[in-house]
Amino acid sequence: MSRDIEIAQVGIQFHQRGETVIALEDVSLSIPKGSYTEIIGPSCCGKSTLLRLIADILAPSSGKITIGGSPPAEARRDHAIGFVFQQPTLLPWRNIRQNVALPLDVVGRTSHRRSDRTPDQLLELVGLGKFARSLPAELSGGMQQRAAIARALVLQPDVLLLDEPFGALDEITRQKMNLELLRIWTECRTTALLVTHSIAEAVFMSDEVVVMSPRPGRITARIAIPLPRPRSLAMMRDPAFTVAVNQVREALFGDEAETLPGGEAY
Amino acid sequence: MKGSAIVTAALPWLVIVLILAVIEAIYRTGHLPIFLPSPSMLWGSFIESPTLWPANMGPTLWKAATGFGIAAGLSLAGAGLGAVVLAAYAPIYNLGATLQSIPIIATTPLLALWLGTGAETQITIAVLVSQFPMLNGAMQGFRAADSRQREMMHCLAASPLQTLRYLILPAALPFIFAGFKIAAPAAVLGVITAEWAGAERGVGAVMLNALFAYDPPKVWLSVIAACVLAGGGYGVWALVERLVVVWDRPTELRQ
Repeated sequence: MSRDIEIAQVGIQFHQRGETVIALEDVSLSIPKGSYTEIIGPSCCGKSTLLRLIADILAPSSGKITIGGSPPAEARRDHAIGFVFQQPTLLPWRNIRQNVALPLDVVGRTSHRRSDRTPDQLLELVGLGKFARSLPAELSGGMQQRAAIARALVLQPDVLLLDEPFGALDEITRQKMNLELLRIWTECRTTALLVTHSIAEAVFMSDEVVVMSPRPGRITARIAIPLPRPRSLAMMRDPAFTVAVNQVREALFGDEAETLPGGEAY
Repeated sequence: MKGSAIVTAALPWLVIVLILAVIEAIYRTGHLPIFLPSPSMLWGSFIESPTLWPANMGPTLWKAATGFGIAAGLSLAGAGLGAVVLAAYAPIYNLGATLQSIPIIATTPLLALWLGTGAETQITIAVLVSQFPMLNGAMQGFRAADSRQREMMHCLAASPLQTLRYLILPAALPFIFAGFKIAAPAAVLGVITAEWAGAERGVGAVMLNALFAYDPPKVWLSVIAACVLAGGGYGVWALVERLVVVWDRPTELRQ
């Protein structure tokens, strides 16, 4: 089962050192259930903040978010949301299987929300079958993040939120992880929403790419990706891929596409 | 490679044996000052009254262990309270630090006047000198879980009790053990110091009596007994830590 996400005129302000910073302003977005969406934008555009609002880590100052009709707090308490952080955030004293099973320990045996995949099957799915008994410190960053994805999936979430999950990985590992993620999503068919920094990745992965701009954070474009599924790396040579990449690039930089704003590499 | 590991392990012991042999040799040639007993004199003194040591190390040990236990309970409770009630954090920490900074050489005679020279005084001193390392460790430990891990538990809709059990307590363990390892020898030395103010039994009592009787071998044996108890206190907690905290060795250098 998966749920849609409805975001209506959401805004959030932070108060720091007497100043009010508008992190998000009038953000509206609806994400159909079972779809795969990536949010892209420069640093500080509020894309992670938006994800944290959906996950009920933050509360909006204005507007409303619903997940399958319920407010985020309810969806969270119902364990309908799986969240993957930028860092794996595994508990170092639990081995990989115990880390993946942590959500099961939290919901207890009485919950209706049981995965039809056991932690061991999930570890197989993310390619960590042989490492069930390893401690997180014994695994590479990429493997740890796979374990974090398995943990996010163990309660069969209706919505999977990923906050730059592969941002700390090298380019080659990232490519591999993206393909893995697509394969896993195809099997789980949950609504997936991922925050990214990479244009090519966003286009390659998504049904729709959401472009955001900073100060104040808002959505500037939504670009549907017409590539068929399942996706393959060969599609990166498809003219439709190139067209979509250029659309996203123009949405991000507008007329300044030639002179990139400083500080970030795209 | 296995042979070199044995040499590495045996080397400290060889050095000790060598030093003892050298001291013994100096004694045999008549060059050892009177305040330095030879190893053979120590051994002679020891087998002259072998029951003296367990009979006096026992009381010191149980008083130190009792004081340590009380201090551990108070410290963990105080640190727990400080972690839950933020307003209590600074007062509790400051109280622990203040008690720690009062010299026990000043508090012991006062406590002896008040409580007498029984076990109460010595246990109280053990509590006073061992509480702060444990309080400090536990207070740091309860804050050791980082904000991302706390957010992760929040996302899982974990209850406060589950967050404590699955995150806060395990994250605090290395810090708590670091405090225990410092506090255990401190409790032993606190009891021995307190025994100087007057005690019928205990390593400190033997030490003081031997000093007044000018019995260098016995003074040295009581010093060794103090070291055995203090080192044992450290060793027990280092061992428990090694068995429990298998994921992290923050207080040991990796080889």
